Amino acid sequence: MQATRRLTDARILVVDDERVNLVLLERILDQDGYRNVKSVTDPSEAVALFDQVEPDLVLLDLHMPKLDGFAVMKLLEDRISRDTFLPILILTADIRPEIKRRALAAGAKDFVTKPFDRTEVLLRIQNLLETRFLHMRVRHDPVPEGQAT
Amino acid sequence: MWRRYGDALYTLLTLAVFGFETISLGVLSLSFLLGKASGIASTPIEAILLSVVISSASALALLGLYLLSYHFISAMRDRHHADQIDTWTEWWVGLALAGPDEPVEDRRRRKLPRVAVDSVLSLLEAVKGEEGDRLKEALAGHSVDRQFLKRVHTGHLTARLDAIEGLGKARLPQALDALLTLFAHAKPVVRRMAARAAAGTLAVMPPEPRPNGPHERFIRAIRHADLQPGVVQEALLLLETRAGPILRELLADPDLPDTLRWVALETSGRLGLADMADQVAASSTHPDPELRAATFRALRRLGAVPTEAEAQLLRAVEDEVDFVRVQAAHAAAFLAADTAIPALEPRLEDPSWWVRRAAASSMARLGEVGVAAVRRAAENHPEQAAREMAVQILLEADELTSAAARLATGVA
Repeated sequence: MQATRRLTDARILVVDDERVNLVLLERILDQDGYRNVKSVTDPSEAVALFDQVEPDLVLLDLHMPKLDGFAVMKLLEDRISRDTFLPILILTADIRPEIKRRALAAGAKDFVTKPFDRTEVLLRIQNLLETRFLHMRVRHDPVPEGQAT
Repeated sequence: MWRRYGDALYTLLTLAVFGFETISLGVLSLSFLLGKASGIASTPIEAILLSVVISSASALALLGLYLLSYHFISAMRDRHHADQIDTWTEWWVGLALAGPDEPVEDRRRRKLPRVAVDSVLSLLEAVKGEEGDRLKEALAGHSVDRQFLKRVHTGHLTARLDAIEGLGKARLPQALDALLTLFAHAKPVVRRMAARAAAGTLAVMPPEPRPNGPHERFIRAIRHADLQPGVVQEALLLLETRAGPILRELLADPDLPDTLRWVALETSGRLGLADMADQVAASSTHPDPELRAATFRALRRLGAVPTEAEAQLLRAVEDEVDFVRVQAAHAAAFLAADTAIPALEPRLEDPSWWVRRAAASSMARLGEVGVAAVRRAAENHPEQAAREMAVQILLEADELTSAAARLATGVA
């Protein structure tokens, strides 16, 4: 059933303390056909919303007051099972390699640097969702032994 | 003002304290008045006391009213401001994402209020490309760029800084030269803000390969400005994808001042521009030890040592200055094990604890051969300091149990 889902059916959770960024991302995603987008400006509400939405993709800002992106990833760590592919796409203005390494180590799958390009952010989202859906398809319909290429 | 967090609690506390005092003084005043009526406040002193109590109660009541009104009006204004920001943000986002043929509500004739400018500047920090260009066009259509550029050169310092910050967020190509001229401003804070804004602007400008393009003008301004190394480094980091060509040009200049060369080396390393390893390594024999150390630190961060620089690196492991030896020993972790280990092993008995640590740590990163060499040092090295450092590194790398460590160093 999951295998027949379209990308635009994907549930997307956006966590960013800047309301401007949320409005922008929501509109970009809406224009591209994504209808199940939930967003939150308060990172401390991210985990509750994550449990409620059960997203296919998380878009996460790194630098936020009180609870930064690394702390949010730490909180989500226990909720993301090791055998699932639940991508976290980081949105950050910080281009330092050490920050990227730290975020990748914490569970991030890809980065978009702010200010971002609309086409680039949509392509990255699409790629991550395709990977997630393929992963889910493999889990639901494993390739029989001897047929793997 | 002094309002920040815990508004509701503060307001309740204020209300409780002032309310209690006002009521107490009111009751006291009333008692005096009643007392006067019954002949208690019969003396002039009692009358004076009575008027003091009444005026204190009135002052407290007034002050309490002011504080409550202040909080109420502030909260209302904040809400109104947030609503306006939301309204303008929606409008700007609509404008940015509208296709070229899509009609957008025309607000062109209206003078933009401050809140509208603030919201579009915030948006420009989030979006670039065609959408960003559309917003920049709209800003220019409202003459916001000209207003900022005018304020950059005139007016109060706060207004200037505000204008520079606005230009930095908007990243308007037409503002680059005005920002570059501010690199020579008398006030360090203006120079710093201008450097940040100019770098952010250059980062989104398309490359213009010509002798006097924005890229060259930026380098000239950086070279001639009196900027702190930290400010230059911050500006170079903000150049994002444009940083590589500019750093390459800076490092290729034989007359580059040492401070700028140091900054260029540090920034190359911090940005992880691995394709710049050759240009970075060219400073490995610089007479200034700070620059030699910065070179090897950058190579370590790049995770690459060019073949042509191997000989200099091996010499630097024995440099006369200890902090150069430390950085060279760290960078040696990126050489082939059979080249690095013979150079690092003697450094296990270096007089500097930091060099011993860097040498042992690099050896342990050179695969099984390296770990075996550190293990040998932990067990058999004649110098106790070398044995202890080797044990320490093996313990940190989970290559040794604490019992084995005690045996190796002879500690009971």
